[in-house]
Amino acid sequence: MKIVAIIKQVPDAEARLHITGDRIDLEGATFVIDGMDEYGVEEALRIRESGQELEIVAVALGHRRCEEALRTALAMGSDRAILIETDERIDPIEQARVLGAVVADEGADLVFVGGKQADWDSSALGPALAEVLGWPHSDWTTQLTLLGERARVRHDADGGSEDLVLPLPAVITTQQGLNEPRYPTLPNIMRARRKELRRMTLEDAGGATPATRLVEESLQVSERRNRVIEGGPVEAAESLVRLLRDEAKVI
Amino acid sequence: MNFALPEELLLMQRHVREFAQKEIVPIASELDRDPSFPWETLRKMGELGLLGILTPGRFGGAGLDHLSYAVLLEEISAADASHGTIMSVTNGFPQTVLRDYGSSRQQERYLPRLATGEWIGSFCLSEPHAGSDAASMITRAERVPGGFRLTGTKAWVTSGGEAQFYLVMAKTDPSAGARGVSAFIVEKGVEGMYFGRPEEKLGQHAAVTASVTFEACFLPEEALLGPEGQGFVIAMASLDAGRIGIAAQAVGIARAAFDAACHYADERRAFGQAIREFQGVGFRLADMATELEAARLLALRAAWLKDRGYRVTQEASMAKLFASEAASRITHAAVQVFGGYGYSKEFPIERYFRDARVTEIYEGTSEIQRVVISRQIYRERGR
Repeated sequence: MKIVAIIKQVPDAEARLHITGDRIDLEGATFVIDGMDEYGVEEALRIRESGQELEIVAVALGHRRCEEALRTALAMGSDRAILIETDERIDPIEQARVLGAVVADEGADLVFVGGKQADWDSSALGPALAEVLGWPHSDWTTQLTLLGERARVRHDADGGSEDLVLPLPAVITTQQGLNEPRYPTLPNIMRARRKELRRMTLEDAGGATPATRLVEESLQVSERRNRVIEGGPVEAAESLVRLLRDEAKVI
Repeated sequence: MNFALPEELLLMQRHVREFAQKEIVPIASELDRDPSFPWETLRKMGELGLLGILTPGRFGGAGLDHLSYAVLLEEISAADASHGTIMSVTNGFPQTVLRDYGSSRQQERYLPRLATGEWIGSFCLSEPHAGSDAASMITRAERVPGGFRLTGTKAWVTSGGEAQFYLVMAKTDPSAGARGVSAFIVEKGVEGMYFGRPEEKLGQHAAVTASVTFEACFLPEEALLGPEGQGFVIAMASLDAGRIGIAAQAVGIARAAFDAACHYADERRAFGQAIREFQGVGFRLADMATELEAARLLALRAAWLKDRGYRVTQEASMAKLFASEAASRITHAAVQVFGGYGYSKEFPIERYFRDARVTEIYEGTSEIQRVVISRQIYRERGR
């Protein structure tokens, strides 16, 4: 059996980001493996530890520095890694096309993708990947059990959860609750350096023709709109009611 | 000379830092206020390999070098000094002495348990009336049929009462001075072994310290570690690594205080500007940064040389002496940068200040380090 874990690298949410002018300055920022993707690597490792013969391949599409995120996936216990290098900004639909070709080429039985990506929050990559591959898909998955050629999953649904049985191969998007990802052990970190990490250019992977183009970016500035109501209690209550009714129009 | 850390080590440092910041930092202040031995985090450290760093892989250790040991111990100590102390003691004498002098039976029985953190190791050398002058110890291991009878009291035992493994130095020949000392393995729970109440200390509260008393404890023949009468020789061989460890630990505590002070001095405003803009604060931070860097370099260089087979008695002592005194100065300065908040228990600064102080005392006081260094200076000159 083979599992592909899609890995994204994102700025460390706990580190400080610098803003230069009207842009976030990523120079000097700390980048880490996307927390959502760690659940996928962990789930693959647990499947192997339950006795399943299994190869785990971590795959990333992005900047050269994504190597570090892949090394983390290797240090956690993935067997090898593939990095498709590009500095281009590619929308999730096109990312899915590029990654889908690699997944198909690998002949994977299961693909894990983070439920959403910590930087763009699009939640689109998993479903788009399933679409490209023509595979069934469970999003926001919190439980997974393999039953031979099928997988039984529980995932979030409106107002509750839903249990599904999917035939393999399938795409599973992962999230908090699925498991508790491990920290890599020191011996595994040492071993990770010697594991195969294959680099490809975007061209090697067939190139990308994004359907969307970034036109403009602006920082969201939160405006303080608080207002202090003056006067005695009765007077203040009257102005508050008037403001809520006439201006805010909430009553 | 290459001053860059190897890539694998950088990766280990990053992951251990993440572990320490997420798992240890949040509990450190509570452990200080209401001390208990941090078994839960120690178990996790054991799983990662942090409690058997220098022990070979075939015994369940991480099989890493002293450079890695110093770098990773700094990370844990920056999160909490108590964890750093327990880590350094169990990684240190118990495992290095077993590794270098243990019989294969002793190695197979104890190293895997210690290296994985299933067991914590302790070192019993000091006595109530024998500290730096360790040869004046009176704990006695008397030969009896089938083994030894151990009698005496050991003081200041880190993890005493909690650890399962005790490396105990005792006199087998009281007339032979330092050459009459032998090393013994004592497992927690043997008959006649008692623990004192944990000491109340200035800092490092979670690194429980207690006295251990042996009242005619019977030890079988295989409890003897290394040749009889060679206890000091055996211990001396691990001394340098231990001192490098304390230097790294002091660097870690000082770093935590320095980082906090930097952050605070940038945010806290007075008289219309961030307080770091005042030369009095800015210069202080500059001195702290410089001392921290010097301390770290001494520690890492001693480790690096040791990994290459050099005798580092002088370098390890210098690193330990300078780093521990620098840690006291840096944490002292950090309290000043924080002003009233530095003195308040609401912030960890006063804890760093208290935690750092003992690094000037244990594993050889600053005075002992100066004795060692001054002797080495003349030894090098052939005097």
